[in-house]
Amino acid sequence: MLLLLPVLIPVVGGLTVGLGAFRGRLIRSIFVEAVTLATSALLAWLIVNGQGMTLHALRLTENLTIVFHIDGLTRVFSGLIAFLWPLATLYAFEYMEHESRESTFFAYYLMSYGVTVGIALSANLFTLYAFYELLTLITLPLVLHKMDATSNRAGRMYLYYSISGAALAFIGMIFVLTYATNPSTAFIYGGVINSARVAGNKDLLLAVFLMSFMGFGVKAAIFPLHHWLPTVSVAPTPVTALLHAVAVVKAGAFAIIRLIYYSFGTHFLRGTWAQYAAMALAMFTIVYGSAMAVKEQHFKRRLAYSTVSNLSYVVFGATLMTPAGLAGSLTHMLFHGVMKITLFFCAGAVLVQTEREYVQDLRGFGRVMPFTFGVFTVAAMALVGVAPLAGFISKWNLATAAASSGQGLAYVGVGALIVSAILTAVYLFTVVVTAQFMPLNASSAALAGRKLDPGWRMKLPLAVLTVAIVALGVWSVPLVQFLLRVASGLY
Amino acid sequence: MRGNMILPLMAFLPMAGAIACYLIGRISKGARNVAVFAVCAVDLAMAAGLFAAVVGGRSAEFCWDGFCGMGLHLKLDGFRAVYALIAGLMWFMTHGLFAPVYFESHYRNRNRYYLFTLLTLGATNGVFLSASLYTTFIFFEIMSLTSYAWVAHDEKEAAMRAAQTYLAVAIIGGMVTLMGLFMLYHRVGTLEIDEIYIACGKVTDKGPLYLVAALIAIGFAAKAGAYPLHIWLPKAHPVAPAPASALLSGILTKTGVFGLLVVSADILPADAAWGRAVLIFGVITMFVGALLALFSVDLKRTLACSSMSQIGFILVGIAMSNLLGHHGGLAAHGALLHMVNHSLIKLVLFMAAGAVYMRLHKLNLNEIRGFGRGKPVLHFAFLMGYLGIIGMPLWNGFVSKSLIHESILEYVEILRESGGAWIPYKVVEMLFLFTGGMTAAYMIKLYVAIFWEKNDPETQKRFDAMGKTPFPAALALGLSGLILPVLGVFSNRLMQGVAGLMQGFMRSEGPKEVLNYFSRANLIGAAESLLIGAALYVFVVRGLLTQRQKDGRRVYVDRWPTWLDLEGLVYRPLLERVLPTCFGMICEVLNHLADWATALLGTCGTALARLMDNLFNAKAFNAVGTFFARIMDEGIDTLVLGLWHGVFGRRHKREAATVGNRFTYACGRLFDRIAAFLNRTLRRKHPIEANFVAAFAAGWDEMRANLRRISWSVSFGLLLMCVGLYIVFAYLLM
Repeated sequence: MLLLLPVLIPVVGGLTVGLGAFRGRLIRSIFVEAVTLATSALLAWLIVNGQGMTLHALRLTENLTIVFHIDGLTRVFSGLIAFLWPLATLYAFEYMEHESRESTFFAYYLMSYGVTVGIALSANLFTLYAFYELLTLITLPLVLHKMDATSNRAGRMYLYYSISGAALAFIGMIFVLTYATNPSTAFIYGGVINSARVAGNKDLLLAVFLMSFMGFGVKAAIFPLHHWLPTVSVAPTPVTALLHAVAVVKAGAFAIIRLIYYSFGTHFLRGTWAQYAAMALAMFTIVYGSAMAVKEQHFKRRLAYSTVSNLSYVVFGATLMTPAGLAGSLTHMLFHGVMKITLFFCAGAVLVQTEREYVQDLRGFGRVMPFTFGVFTVAAMALVGVAPLAGFISKWNLATAAASSGQGLAYVGVGALIVSAILTAVYLFTVVVTAQFMPLNASSAALAGRKLDPGWRMKLPLAVLTVAIVALGVWSVPLVQFLLRVASGLY
Repeated sequence: MRGNMILPLMAFLPMAGAIACYLIGRISKGARNVAVFAVCAVDLAMAAGLFAAVVGGRSAEFCWDGFCGMGLHLKLDGFRAVYALIAGLMWFMTHGLFAPVYFESHYRNRNRYYLFTLLTLGATNGVFLSASLYTTFIFFEIMSLTSYAWVAHDEKEAAMRAAQTYLAVAIIGGMVTLMGLFMLYHRVGTLEIDEIYIACGKVTDKGPLYLVAALIAIGFAAKAGAYPLHIWLPKAHPVAPAPASALLSGILTKTGVFGLLVVSADILPADAAWGRAVLIFGVITMFVGALLALFSVDLKRTLACSSMSQIGFILVGIAMSNLLGHHGGLAAHGALLHMVNHSLIKLVLFMAAGAVYMRLHKLNLNEIRGFGRGKPVLHFAFLMGYLGIIGMPLWNGFVSKSLIHESILEYVEILRESGGAWIPYKVVEMLFLFTGGMTAAYMIKLYVAIFWEKNDPETQKRFDAMGKTPFPAALALGLSGLILPVLGVFSNRLMQGVAGLMQGFMRSEGPKEVLNYFSRANLIGAAESLLIGAALYVFVVRGLLTQRQKDGRRVYVDRWPTWLDLEGLVYRPLLERVLPTCFGMICEVLNHLADWATALLGTCGTALARLMDNLFNAKAFNAVGTFFARIMDEGIDTLVLGLWHGVFGRRHKREAATVGNRFTYACGRLFDRIAAFLNRTLRRKHPIEANFVAAFAAGWDEMRANLRRISWSVSFGLLLMCVGLYIVFAYLLM
């Protein structure tokens, strides 16, 4: 039963907020933060002690069941969201004071926590699929939050992409069900496909794999299905930062990992044309996303394109189909989550304090918002991959895994990583240099001498995340070894 | 963590000190200067301690397993101790003693400056003490980024542009090096410098190693300022504050040489092909640098180009050491000593340039000429640097240049005896001497202009009235200047000792026999070079590079064509125009490919409906048209996965004036009348001006449009659900 709680607590909490139980802002905030923290604490306890727990929640048919469990991969993903959600919520309190309809916002924000946890805990493809669909629906109101024409359009786009992606993934699920050894979609490390049944239909099944890869790839923003991600950056920053840089998009990558390693199985996929197709798409997206980010002048959209690129790092690691590849992929999943949420938080702080949206408007802001841009500089260096910060470790691991996978195409991937790293330096350091080393614009001359850093509720998460970025870089070994064990199926 | 804790302290103590100084500086500037002095002094003391330990025959190591993944590995040996000491000395002289005076009046952002300066000190120590290339790379990257703040310090247009170049070269170079390191690791399974030497020795197929070596060398060569990656160097030095220029030129370029030494001595030891490649780039760097320096009329730019040229000398030394293999002891000593000498000489010269700039804020030779008259300390320091760099016997530069020169001659001899193609190397030898001559010429040009010539009388009077260089800065100048002749005079003991300490790093055992640096051949070589220099000065500098004005005064002119600039000619157009345009076009097409396809399909559907409307203009056909449009829309929805927004999101339909229906009209009229009534009675002063008929109609349309959108999106989702369900059923029934 314990496994159901982290899903239910936020959902019930969110409904309570949504039904208007709280009038005062302070009490509501305390309630929201308390629920988030309680869920995170419970998750943390489960991550440490819950290895192997399973819960059969609901049986729809013989083969379609809602089951939760905790395995290595669950622990990785739920650890990430359990760490970030309370920080993002704290940040959102201050941020959302500048927006309208806070209650609605926090209701959905809390509920989406529960749904994301559901994805992390799901023990079979059907459960994953169900929560995956639910996540789309529950986060849609967050995208639509501003209720103007742009949000409306972004919301529609988000919905179309996601639902059609899920439909593709659905087809994959049916095929897994059909070709599984004993008809179930349960996640078993190494895959469940029965090779005897596949005989003769291998290409069909590979095509279906690629289809469902693309389906889940919608949320992981793989080219050519990435377009929704930069568009939804119109949402309030806590949403962009947490959901569209971590929770939702990482759920896509997480689902792809489940699909490759726990449903179809690397044994079945490795060395096939489907693997190469998937890998090529990921590699292309890595460079493409970075190139688009260089081109983009809108601050948040630039970061969103950067997310497009970095998600494909994660997917690329997964498509290597080796334990080392998966370990690199998981490392980047965690580290990119921490780094990108920090960058978005900084962008949000700028937006809320000064309403500057474009990079060229940020000239000289390092002096106006020293804390924010100090943090931004550290996070930017980390994402570029400057040693000894977090991003360097994950990129190094990914590249090592690619080179040792023994596949010719993977070498090209190493090149893609390096090119993308240079482009990352261009699009992030432009911001850093603009803010730190240039004088203020004429239009922001009025800000000279003022200190516009946000309040403690926005600063505290930023400080914690910055410490995490440095610490994860310097003391990465225990974590990376844990991830390697997870990736080898030991948990 | 195990091993000697002093080694990591060398790297991390200045970094901690940097943050402490920054925080102190927010409270008090004076206390900050004291703190910076203290950090530099402590670093120098620690480095001196390490040096003493090495001279005493000890060595040390430090390992921090798991730091940043693959661990931090530092080591102390002769080379590393010497360079830690030089780094400590240079930081102490420039930022402990010289900088507080230099920055006295006019500089902004000093806190930021000192923060990055001390961070760079820590990172530089880290590079020089590193025992694995992984550690080297970590500190190298940190150093590249923190030193950016030096170049960008002024925040003026020129500074920002130079800084941009600096950053671009550093990042691209760093990434290329990373790629090389990565391939090396994959090939030989280690990045420990000592293990690389052993592992690479066992590799039989050298082909891939050349690629690895070239990739690794690119990043380091860029930092060292080797042609054609030198582009940042002549731009960055003049715009950086003088104490920072001294460090950029004296020590940061040497971190690049450090990496090149590892490549040449450990990855491809005694490899002739590699030696030839390094020689070609070395000779070009040496010659082009000196040529640019000769043409320059800007004090710091001349010194910067001179740095480039001297790095070329060092590269030639490294190349000769590789070419000579077992006999390369002379060349190795020459290269290593020239590194040391160049660091010390540029320390003096750039501080002297700083002493000029802090008073005049000018660097053009025509404007600063005569400034040095009657300023003994400045004169002494500059003279020492000048004599050192041109290779005057009894000064330090003479020794290292002679050694490299002699090694070239030795190689020519060997080739002659074995019947090899010796002529190209003879040409190299002549170019070497000629470049030495150019060095002398541009240094005489600077020296004569600043210390002997007179400016126009009024300016000269102003210059003479300016006091001498204030105390701590003068001390730094004097002390740094004094080192050079001391090293030169006692070179047979001191410099041979230093070279003996350092040679292990190049896997060299030194020259076979005990040398006398002041041999006849060496003296003749130096004399030849200096004579060429004198001739060049008289004929080229005096003859071609100056112009007599109407009032009879000579002015220095810059005859170098500005367009002949590798950066402006090749790199920037390539990076800023050609590549982005190509990539941009590709990206643009890809980005909108799906959108355009949908837009086209959708427009066809809508156009079809329009056509029917216009053709038949009847209600029944209207319905048919709408029906077709819907069919097309739904088809697109499923076909292109929801990219359908292109139709209505981007291309707005012709905006018809909103009419509404009878109900909205009636309500609108009612409200309008009420409003009119109110305007006449209650709200005469503040009449209601809204047009309710239009407002209601607009509201109605908006509502209908929203309903339509909602219904479509739901229908879309349902449609896909149905497709999925059909497949489910199909399979369940099968």
